[in-house]
Amino acid sequence: MTATSKYLSGAHEAHDSHHEEDPKQYLMYDPKPRGEMNAMVMESMHTTSWKFWVVLGVLAFLVVTCFFFAWGYMIDEGLYVGGVMRPAYWGVFLVNTVFWIGISHAGTFISAILRVFKAEFRRPFTRAAELMTTFGLIQAGASIFMHMGRVWLSYWMFPIPNARQLWPNFHSPLMWDLLAISTYVLGSTMYLFLPLIPDLAMARDRSTGWRKTFYKILALGFRGTEGEWRHLTVAMNFFAFAIIPVMFSVHTIVSWDFAMAMRPGWSSSVFGPYFVLGALHSGMGAVAMVLFVMRATMKHMDYFIRKEHFDALGKLMLMVTFAYTYFFFNDYIVQWYGGDKATDNLLHWLEEGPMAWMFIQFVFFNIVIPPLLLWSKKVRETPWLLALIGLMINVGMYWERYLIIPVMLTINRMPFTWKLFQPRIEVFLTIGTFSMFLLFYMIVSRLIPLIPVWEVQEGQMTHSLRKVGKAKLPTISEFE
Amino acid sequence: MSEATLLAVFEDLDPAANAIEKLHELGVGDENINVISGVPVAHKILGRPHPWTNVSKLSMGGAAAGFLFGIFLNFGTPNLYDIHVGGQFITPIPPGAIVTFEMTMLFALLATFLGVFLDSYFPNYRPLEYVDEVSDGKIAVFFRVSEGDAKKFTDAMNTLGAESVKPAEARQL
Repeated sequence: MTATSKYLSGAHEAHDSHHEEDPKQYLMYDPKPRGEMNAMVMESMHTTSWKFWVVLGVLAFLVVTCFFFAWGYMIDEGLYVGGVMRPAYWGVFLVNTVFWIGISHAGTFISAILRVFKAEFRRPFTRAAELMTTFGLIQAGASIFMHMGRVWLSYWMFPIPNARQLWPNFHSPLMWDLLAISTYVLGSTMYLFLPLIPDLAMARDRSTGWRKTFYKILALGFRGTEGEWRHLTVAMNFFAFAIIPVMFSVHTIVSWDFAMAMRPGWSSSVFGPYFVLGALHSGMGAVAMVLFVMRATMKHMDYFIRKEHFDALGKLMLMVTFAYTYFFFNDYIVQWYGGDKATDNLLHWLEEGPMAWMFIQFVFFNIVIPPLLLWSKKVRETPWLLALIGLMINVGMYWERYLIIPVMLTINRMPFTWKLFQPRIEVFLTIGTFSMFLLFYMIVSRLIPLIPVWEVQEGQMTHSLRKVGKAKLPTISEFE
Repeated sequence: MSEATLLAVFEDLDPAANAIEKLHELGVGDENINVISGVPVAHKILGRPHPWTNVSKLSMGGAAAGFLFGIFLNFGTPNLYDIHVGGQFITPIPPGAIVTFEMTMLFALLATFLGVFLDSYFPNYRPLEYVDEVSDGKIAVFFRVSEGDAKKFTDAMNTLGAESVKPAEARQL
C-alpha cells in the first residue's frame, strides 16, 4: 500500500513538475535592467575570437576569387564560360536569384507579419531576420546582373527617355520583376533601418573613437523624444502592413516569369502561391540556421535567443511545410493527370531520369522529413536540430529551383534539343554569392546591434505575472 | 524674468508620470514639457497630450503620387514608343495593374520613410539636450520654468523620486 501510494505520489509530482513551467524560462518574464542588456549587446558586438577572423578571412578570399574575379572573367570572356546554352538558356544564375529572393522572404514575414499580429516571441530576432532579407536581396540582384551578361547595359531596363527608340515593355514579367524587386529592396532596407535608429543611438552613447562617429552619423541625432517615437512607431506600423503585400507580390511575380510561358512544368495557375510558400519555407529554415549560429558564436545571445524562440520558429516551419506540401501536391497532381505528352515526359524524367536523385532529395528534405520531426517539441527546442532541418529544407529548395529552371527548360516539347545542363563558372559564382552573404552577416554582426534591445525592453515592460488564486499567471498589457 | 530648462531623471514610469502631474499642478503647460525615453511610452501613461505626426498623411500622399506615376508609366509612356505584343493593346489593364501596384507601394514606403526624417528633423547633428541614461531605460523629463522658480521645482521633483535634477545643457551627441 505504502509502495503504491509512494508510486502514485511520485507520479503526481512528476505530473506537476511537467506542467508547472518556470515563467523565467521565457525572455519576456525574465527581465534584466536595460543598462545590463545594452552592455550585453555591446559586448557581443565587440568580442571576436581568432576563429572569427579566420572564417572572415576565408570568406573574404572566396568573395574576391569566386565572386569578383570569376564575374570579371565572365564579363571579359563572355557568357560562353557558363553552362547556359540552348535549350537551358536560363541556368544557375536564375536558380540563385529565385533562391536568394526566397531567403529574403523570411525576414519580412517574421518581422512584419508577426508585428502585425503582435506575436511577442518575434522581438529578439526580428533584426537578424530583416538583415537576411537585405543581404539575400543583394545576392539576388547580383545574380540577375550576372545572368544579364552585358551588365553595363542594365540601364536599358529603366524607363529613361532616350534617343535609341527603346522603351521598357511593361507587359513583360521580367519588367515587373525589376519593379517589384527594386520596391522590395528599398522597402525592406528602410524597414530594417527604422527600428535600428534607437539601437544605433544606444550604441552611440556607449562608444568611443571611430565607432562613436559611425553610430553618431547613423543615429541621425535620435534622442527618444515623444515626437520621435510617435513618428517612428507610426512609420513602422505602416511599413509592417505595407511590406506584406509587396513581399507576396515579389515572389508571385518571380513565379510568373515561368508560369506565363506555355511550357511543361511551368504553366500553372498555382505557381504564384506555390512560390511564395516555397520562399517562406526556405527563409524560415535559413532563420533557424542564423539563430543557431548567432546563439552558438556570439556572447550573451543565449539570454536573448532561447528555446522558446526555436520552438515558436519550429511551429511556424511546420505550418509552412504543410502549406507548401499542399501547393506542391496541387501543382503536381494536376500535371500528372493532365495527359499532356510533354509533361508526362518531364515527370518521368524527374522521377527516373539522371536528375531523379535531386527530385527525391527535394521531396524528402522539404515534404517528408520536416513534418516527421517538427511535430516534436523536443526537436523544435533543440537549436542544432532545428538548424539542421533548416539546412535540409534549404538544400531541398535549392534543388527544387534547379529542377524548375534548367531541368524543365531541358525537357521541353522538342526531344532533339534535350541536353543535360552542366553548370561551369556558375559553380564558382554560386560559392561567391553564398560567401558574400555570410561575409556581410559576419561584418554587420560586429557593427550593428543584432538584438533590438528597445523592443525587448518594451516587451518585458508589458509582460507581468499576475497572482490568480495560488498560481502566478503570465499577463500581457498593451502600451500603445 | 529669464527662463531655465531643468532636466529631471527618473528610474521608472510611475514617478515620471507623477512628476508630470505635479508640473501641471504647478502651472507648467504641456508645451513647456518634453519627455525622453528609451522605449516608446504611450502619451496616456504619462498624462501627456497625443503627439502629432504627419507620417501617415505623407504615406497616403506618397501612395497617391505612386499610383499616378504608375498610371503614367503604363498608360502614358507606351504611346511614345509603340510595342505590339501578341495582339495585346498597347496599354492593357492586367499588366498595368501590376506596375501601378508596385509604384503605389514604392512611393508610399519612400514617403513614409522620408516622413520620419521630416517630422523628426533628421538628421540633426547640432548640440541637443540629452542624457545618456535615457538609453539605459531611464525617463528624462525636461521642463522650462522661470529661473526664480528653479529651486521650488527642483525640490518638488526630488520629493517625487527624481534621481537627479539639474539644468539641461545642450551637448554634442
